[in-house]
Amino acid sequence: MNAIQDLLTLMFFPGGLFVLALGMSYEWIDRKLMARVQNRVGPRWFQPYADIAKLLVKEEVIPADSNRLLFIALPILALAGALTAALYVPLAGFDPLYSFKGDLIVTLYLLSLLTVCTGLAGANTTDRFSLVGATRTLTQLFSYEAPFLLAMLGPAVAARSWQINEIIADADGQWLLIVQPVGFVVALIGLLGKLEIAPFNAPEAETEIVAGALTEYSGRGLALFRLGRHVELVVGLTMVAAFYMGGVSGLPLFVLKTLLLLLILVGIQSLVARLRIDQTVGLWWRWGTLLVLAQWLALVIWEGVQA
Amino acid sequence: MTWQHVVDDIRTWARVNSPWVVHFNTGSCNGCDIEILAILTPRYDAERFGVKLEGSPRHADVLICTGPVTRQARDRLLRVYEQMPEPKFVIAVGSCAISGGVFQGCYNVIGHIDEVIPVDVYIPGCPPRPEAILDGVVKLLGHLKNPVLEETIQEAG
Repeated sequence: MNAIQDLLTLMFFPGGLFVLALGMSYEWIDRKLMARVQNRVGPRWFQPYADIAKLLVKEEVIPADSNRLLFIALPILALAGALTAALYVPLAGFDPLYSFKGDLIVTLYLLSLLTVCTGLAGANTTDRFSLVGATRTLTQLFSYEAPFLLAMLGPAVAARSWQINEIIADADGQWLLIVQPVGFVVALIGLLGKLEIAPFNAPEAETEIVAGALTEYSGRGLALFRLGRHVELVVGLTMVAAFYMGGVSGLPLFVLKTLLLLLILVGIQSLVARLRIDQTVGLWWRWGTLLVLAQWLALVIWEGVQA
Repeated sequence: MTWQHVVDDIRTWARVNSPWVVHFNTGSCNGCDIEILAILTPRYDAERFGVKLEGSPRHADVLICTGPVTRQARDRLLRVYEQMPEPKFVIAVGSCAISGGVFQGCYNVIGHIDEVIPVDVYIPGCPPRPEAILDGVVKLLGHLKNPVLEETIQEAG
């Protein structure tokens, strides 16, 4: 009986299908806000659902000179990583389904799985656009991942715990972005890098390299990668809101805080142009990492003084 | 209503509501291309219908072609068409794409688009207005939703 209940939790609510639906809804909000900023009408509310359904029933072309097994397995792995990460965060205001010591680190690495899979998928084909896209994807991964991780560890250091539950409980509703503003900004902009949206969309720059690493993907594979991206959007927003904006207990508070963050993301996205890949790396290592490291040091020293 | 019917309905609904397009210039003078880009601008906003301009033919459902097919462009047009996954549709935009237009009979021009690949919708004009292009896209979607239309046209013709 317990096994059946676990299965239902994982497949439908609040894991599995519910996470997918939430991800697609947030994708729609993102596109709609973007369209409104550009003075357009924007897509209808079911647009992401229609896109995914259409891609799922479309023919999947597997290039002759790529590894068949990898080509099929990578999108599945990417989506599975994103969905698993969703189990450890307080999605939609519910308590995390699973929790253990150090689940923060596991969640952050599960979130990177999507990017790694995208890079490998691009490198798996011999198409030149895919290869350039894969190189850029992995280069970008190495530039934003360290600062993003450090920014997420800020609240963890303050709470003296690496368990998402305890970190949120320790903040006790206080907005950490007031005492750790650098960490908040770096985490938010790191999310832009993670999701490959402007100004960090060099890996999939459609005006230069067609569609980046996913150029050769069609049908099911593309649908799964897109779903993974949608899920990662909502998981990332949840984590930043939970850590820096005083937790997300309850559905109304969750929606309010994540939408506020999404609004900021859309604002950045529509205001700035695309950065070159070397500018991206420079920005993260010259500014992002150093600033967040300085704040991290200050935190550690403050904790030491207090103790 | 059987299970198969429900699946078919969902499939058709998804296809009708999410036409991603890829745009290919087979030798046009760029007049039609500018009008195609205009349908993505705030004034006409094709994203209302789910139309999204994709870079890769692998992602696209609809190939929008402009201009007569030149000898140089023929192989590329064929290759782009072959790269698209099924089901795929082709829209020919502009007089040249339909008949060769003013380039008809030129030494370097093969002719109109449907001498090379099958075309689903023809949009006349030199260049057609953005409204006309949107109307063509919507007609294609209507045809997807209601395939009976094709039979009636064939009977009438």
